[in-house]
Amino acid sequence: MSVVLDVFSIVAIVAGLVFFLAGTVGLLRFPDAYTRLHALTKADNLGVALVVTGLLPQMDGVLAALKLVLVWLLVMLSSGAVSQLIARSVRRRECSE
Amino acid sequence: MTGAPEGGTTRILAVRALLYFALWIVVDQSAKPANLVFGLLTSAVATWASVKLLPPASGGVRLGQLLLLLPRFLWQSLVAGTDVARRAFAPQPRLQPGFVDYPVGLPRGAGRNAFELIASLMPGTVASDGTPEMIEFHCLDTGQAVVEQLAVEERAYARALQPEPRDG
Repeated sequence: MSVVLDVFSIVAIVAGLVFFLAGTVGLLRFPDAYTRLHALTKADNLGVALVVTGLLPQMDGVLAALKLVLVWLLVMLSSGAVSQLIARSVRRRECSE
Repeated sequence: MTGAPEGGTTRILAVRALLYFALWIVVDQSAKPANLVFGLLTSAVATWASVKLLPPASGGVRLGQLLLLLPRFLWQSLVAGTDVARRAFAPQPRLQPGFVDYPVGLPRGAGRNAFELIASLMPGTVASDGTPEMIEFHCLDTGQAVVEQLAVEERAYARALQPEPRDG
């Protein structure tokens, strides 16, 4: 059973890292601030979700697992909020130029 | 569960304070008395800040309904991340970026902010500006049916907000 869980963890975490890589590749390759925001927020969110999912079976107790989920929720909340704020400030600067 | 307004407010504040303290327990986990005292103080300050930033009268959400949105939200996150990753790794990133105005039904306020946040985590859209009647989204691919997709999300989301079921 623990081997199965370990394999699950490895697969989920590696998949998560692929999405982090995708976010960074998008940041470098996409043409402007808006499209780069898409790359970072969406790919990294999925990356965090997969890494957290992979780590959950390795946690000692329910509280430790909850803390991981909390980290994931906070990352999601902040990236959703911050991406809008950055998009808005870029937009308003462009409009005023 | 609609008590007198006064009792309702007290209840909301008590629930918020309890939730903040529960969050503290999750974050701290040491259960040292000094830390718990600090946690109580922090929860009190957090509750006070939440009253200032999000007054109880502004209408809450139905937690059960919101949780029903969770599977859909997780699925959308998966689609959004895969979509962006596919485009990022493509030899020629296939992008058709542009702005789309979405006529929003939700009034300005906490509920609409939360919808903008959810929509910004969904495939291909980031809220970039807005007026009282519409939200401007930046889209990765304006060839997709962005407005229709957002309307479906807004309907699902609006069901989780409190005021609606009263007249519907």
